[in-house]
Amino acid sequence: MAYSDKVVDHFNNPRNMGSFKKDEEGVGTGMVGAPECGDVMKLQIKVQNDTIVDAKFKTFGCGSAIASSSLATEWLKGKTIEEAQKIKNTDIVQELNLPPVKIHCSVLAEDAIKAALSDYQKKTDSPQADGK
Amino acid sequence: MLDPQQLEAKFYELSRTFHPDFYQTKSTAEQSISLGNAAVLNTAYRTLRDPIQRAEYLLGLEAGSVKDIRTSPPADLFEEILELQDTLDEYRASDRESDESRRLHTTLQTEQERLEQHKQEMETQLHRLFSDWDALQDAGEATADARVKRDQLLKQMRNLLSNRTYVNNIVNDLTATIA
Repeated sequence: MAYSDKVVDHFNNPRNMGSFKKDEEGVGTGMVGAPECGDVMKLQIKVQNDTIVDAKFKTFGCGSAIASSSLATEWLKGKTIEEAQKIKNTDIVQELNLPPVKIHCSVLAEDAIKAALSDYQKKTDSPQADGK
Repeated sequence: MLDPQQLEAKFYELSRTFHPDFYQTKSTAEQSISLGNAAVLNTAYRTLRDPIQRAEYLLGLEAGSVKDIRTSPPADLFEEILELQDTLDEYRASDRESDESRRLHTTLQTEQERLEQHKQEMETQLHRLFSDWDALQDAGEATADARVKRDQLLKQMRNLLSNRTYVNNIVNDLTATIA
């Protein structure tokens, strides 16, 4: 099975690889894994005034999983929380032209986005994390 | 309780009953039945003998009956894996003759040994879970308590198998890189 050009591009030049400090203000962390294949994905967002100003990821897994999370961070930047909620795994499948056997990689990326958003919301909702 | 010796004895006993060699003079229909039975028996024996395979099979059977058999990801393990992955990348990019490279190699080797040990511990733990599971089956109580205990055990097995996959992957990567 051959990877699409876009997957290869993201794999060779991953965007936004790295991480933020978890307890940094405005940072939401999503950590997800696929027990079937053992892929691990960490996706983080940095939020200011309800807008995602930066996003980073670290993925240990196949090329499609890396490409899916790399693309996800690109899409997240500049989006509001509400817009980010709407990113669907099918959007990722379409953009990267993922074959059926690799659809679970895009699901993982969507789960990671959701997890990061909910972590951010949990942090901002709890009073001690407010910091101001 | 699943007794390994009894399992083996039973396997040999049934093998003698089903083995295709004993059906060579029989009809084609009988031959094909014996072959089918022998295949099922072999799979059953291999599955029950190995706790990993037994757990996978059991969880497959129970997948529909246990609510929310999938649990939250082990964040600590994930952090560990991603960190190790960074160290692996550093090592891959390093000049093998440098001190830094040698230092990284030692670190990775230590981690590999630690994770191998962790894998061993997980198998021991799985054995323990199956002892509990078998005891529960033997007791045969249909109480709410037994039900909760049962679901807990399945969940723990699920977790263990998942974590094992994550650990296996990183160990394989470590082995391939520092070998």
